[in-house]
Amino acid sequence: MATEPNTITRILRITAFGILTGAAASLAAIVFVEIVAQLNNLLFISPRSRVLAGETPWLTLMTIVVPTAGGLVVGLLCRYIAEDRPHTPSDVIRSVQLLSGKLPMRSSALTALASIVALGSGASVGQYGPLAHMGATLGSATSRLFKAGRTMGTIGVGCGVAAAISTAFNAPIAGIIFAHEVILRHYSLRAFAPITVASTMGFIVANVLFERAPLFRIQSVSVDHALEFLAFVIIGITGALVAVAFMRSILFCNRLADNIPLPSYLKPMVAGAVVGVVAIWLPDILGIGKETLRFAIIEDAFSPAELTVTLIAKILATALCIGFGFAGGVFMPAMLIGILFGALGGAGMEWVVADFRSDIAIYAICGMVAVTSPVIGAPLTSILIVFELTRNYDLTTAAMVSVVFSNVVAYRIFGRSLFDVQLSLRGFDLSLGRDKVVLDHRVVADYLTQKFTRLAPTLTLSEAKAVLTQAGNSEGYVVSTDGIYLGTVSLPQLLALEAQGQSVDERVDSVAAPEQLVLTSDTSLWEAMENMGDFVGESIPVLRSTNDRHLAGVVFEASIVKGYMDVQHEIRRDEHGAG
Amino acid sequence: MKFGAMNMEPGRMLRRKRAPMANLMRCLYLGAALSIGVVANEATVADDDTITIVSWGGPYVVSQDKAYFEPFTRKTGVNINLAKYDGGIEDLRAMVRAGELMWDLIDLTVADTLLACEEGLLEVIDHSRLPPAPDGTPAQDDFYEGALTRCGVAEIVSSTVLAFNAKVFPGEQPSKIQDLFDLEKFPGKRALQKKPIANLEWALMSYGVPREELYDLLSTERGLRLAFARLDQIKDHIVWWLDLSVPVKLLSREEVVIASGYNGRFFNAAVVLGRPIEIIWDGQLYELSGWGIPKGTPNYETVMEFISFATDTRRLADQAKYIPYGPARRSSEKLVRTHEQTGVDMRPHMPTAPANFMTAIAKDNLWYARINDRLTERFNAWLGE
Repeated sequence: MATEPNTITRILRITAFGILTGAAASLAAIVFVEIVAQLNNLLFISPRSRVLAGETPWLTLMTIVVPTAGGLVVGLLCRYIAEDRPHTPSDVIRSVQLLSGKLPMRSSALTALASIVALGSGASVGQYGPLAHMGATLGSATSRLFKAGRTMGTIGVGCGVAAAISTAFNAPIAGIIFAHEVILRHYSLRAFAPITVASTMGFIVANVLFERAPLFRIQSVSVDHALEFLAFVIIGITGALVAVAFMRSILFCNRLADNIPLPSYLKPMVAGAVVGVVAIWLPDILGIGKETLRFAIIEDAFSPAELTVTLIAKILATALCIGFGFAGGVFMPAMLIGILFGALGGAGMEWVVADFRSDIAIYAICGMVAVTSPVIGAPLTSILIVFELTRNYDLTTAAMVSVVFSNVVAYRIFGRSLFDVQLSLRGFDLSLGRDKVVLDHRVVADYLTQKFTRLAPTLTLSEAKAVLTQAGNSEGYVVSTDGIYLGTVSLPQLLALEAQGQSVDERVDSVAAPEQLVLTSDTSLWEAMENMGDFVGESIPVLRSTNDRHLAGVVFEASIVKGYMDVQHEIRRDEHGAG
Repeated sequence: MKFGAMNMEPGRMLRRKRAPMANLMRCLYLGAALSIGVVANEATVADDDTITIVSWGGPYVVSQDKAYFEPFTRKTGVNINLAKYDGGIEDLRAMVRAGELMWDLIDLTVADTLLACEEGLLEVIDHSRLPPAPDGTPAQDDFYEGALTRCGVAEIVSSTVLAFNAKVFPGEQPSKIQDLFDLEKFPGKRALQKKPIANLEWALMSYGVPREELYDLLSTERGLRLAFARLDQIKDHIVWWLDLSVPVKLLSREEVVIASGYNGRFFNAAVVLGRPIEIIWDGQLYELSGWGIPKGTPNYETVMEFISFATDTRRLADQAKYIPYGPARRSSEKLVRTHEQTGVDMRPHMPTAPANFMTAIAKDNLWYARINDRLTERFNAWLGE
């Protein structure tokens, strides 16, 4: 088969693009994780640095001071970020779903910095969200560097996210799936190819070039009794409730923070102080909590009471930190909460069936994915992470059962994910489909035309008729001398008036009536489409805004339909293109 | 000089004119001290040309003697008095504080080096005086990471391992750390060092904790609790040892079935003495050890000359002809070949051999340097429970 040189160039270009984006995102992720680890050692957050310091009043003081100061720094940094808040994967989703894939560089860089400070100073937040966001930003930057088209932007973002997740978890397949499942939300070969290259590159950089151990490891275990799958179903269902409680706590703390009469840059500091004080008795809630993650899969490491206390404390601490504006992710805290919950479930199971229970690690991991997957809206990714980290079929199958039930329940009572709910609270509702959100964000201003007949209010009816006849338009827009829209007259209307014996010398503004349908510049295409149903006129007048009745122009019904078709076409190209 | 001669005159070092000791000190060190005459005509050498080195004894000191001490005396005429100890810095601390220094040079683990250095018990070492590798690579780049510290120059990578008596288990043999705690599969007594080190790491590792997470987890109350709970399971079957020569003896006499100890000692027992002892490499705890100079020695220059001599590429590789401890220089590793006495290829016996190294635990020196006292206190309390 003869291959066109064009195809080869294209493949090379896509590969280079994937490699570059993957390497950049992966290196950034490694540097990020390394800096956070060093800060944790330096600032007495990691258990090792705490034990090296010894049980001194100094350590107690630092336990409070460090997260508090971290909160202040994060708060101050956020003042320079667009919207005064750290950006999250939901901002990435928004940008990609709007077919843009363009992320603001300054805000993203400041978000990464704020996340490093937050994680470094022990806030109860995760690092995967910031890593994914950072990867997305780098992907967005490389696609601009490649001067790629608009849809390439979304793919670039996908590449960056995939590489970051692949690096962080040592799980290249999970990286690919995460980018598709959470960010892009469609599967096309066009996107799949470069994302796979990028994800693999992330894996190579993490493993071959730097020999980094995965952030956590799970030992192989097996499911001993078929009946235990029933337990995994129950863990899935109850895990969904834990996940929803966790997400609602975050949203609640968010509202709580809004109602606190403090400048917003001081709010993370409040959360930091609370976490610091609690950590004096319960250091498990500090920081990333890798050690707790490990302990949860060890039999008898926690008593059921300890599990319960740590679980609740971690939910509250994370909700407080995220809700009060600390930069950082929810992925890792959700994993921690979930694994503690799963271990608790395992302990309960032991109580019921005694020795007939399989290893606690299975229960812990089922709980982990049951809570994590509905929070980030990534059931497939969660299953694959388990598979890639354990390479254990039994365990993955068990996890799959929990994930499925958990997602069904959580979707019913909460929504697809925390990201989606956060977006819909900001007026960006993805639950009605991508075309709606895209149409929601295109405005009629882009489809305006000035090709219409403008009538001065002082014209007589006969003059108006002459102007319209000469222009060949059936509708005329009566606009005052300072440009205010007064009403519309149509040629048939004028003829009818004439037939009824109306005086032709009457002023046109006396008969002009405002159109039934009037749009404003910022009306979205979606809204225009919704309202256009009963409209029968030639074109729709568009005002500058609801308060400013200046006529900005008119829009033809056909233009709106064309805009709608354009969007459908772009989405189709983004989601189904092959090359 | 044969190793057996070393034990003959335990009091020789005390004849030296320096450091008149208090009686208490004498009691403390007399038992442990041993000394060797390195060359036959020792009597003709002035005291100023004698340095006292304290090292670990056993086959280890023989390897040092062959590779370093004998050649050094031959080259410089400086006599070497030898004392033996079992690690730790308590003796050094007591001597330096009392101003009654009996040692000019001490062989100690990097963890102890860091601690002793922090406490001001050791002289600072100028690493630029160390010889480069034969290809000109500066010493700083040739030594492994962590081998050169402010007050120390490491010579070897040694390893604390478990070993078992193969005669006792003719069928299935222990091969994993978990087997240490499995009294059903491998019944019998275990000999373990009466210190927290290695025991805690292995106890936690037996839960399936990856080696690189061990010290992070042992830094938490929960991690220690788990480790001690595991040790509790075999507590009644443990014979505690303090002297490094004990594990081999206990294993040989079948008084215990599994024992912990230094890999060099087990190698010697198995390969040189033909005992049925086999090493479990899983979870080997490796560390660097080497030279430190006690604070205030009057022989600093001579000792520094010795260190430069003994840590060059050739000498470090020479030591591996006598004992399977990995040299601390990269350039030396390539020169390691066979065991001088038996002709056995030394490479597969090295802790750093790839097959042995797969699950090796890197001893966290700073961790031990800082919290060993607290840890020992906790360990002793547990012993007494």
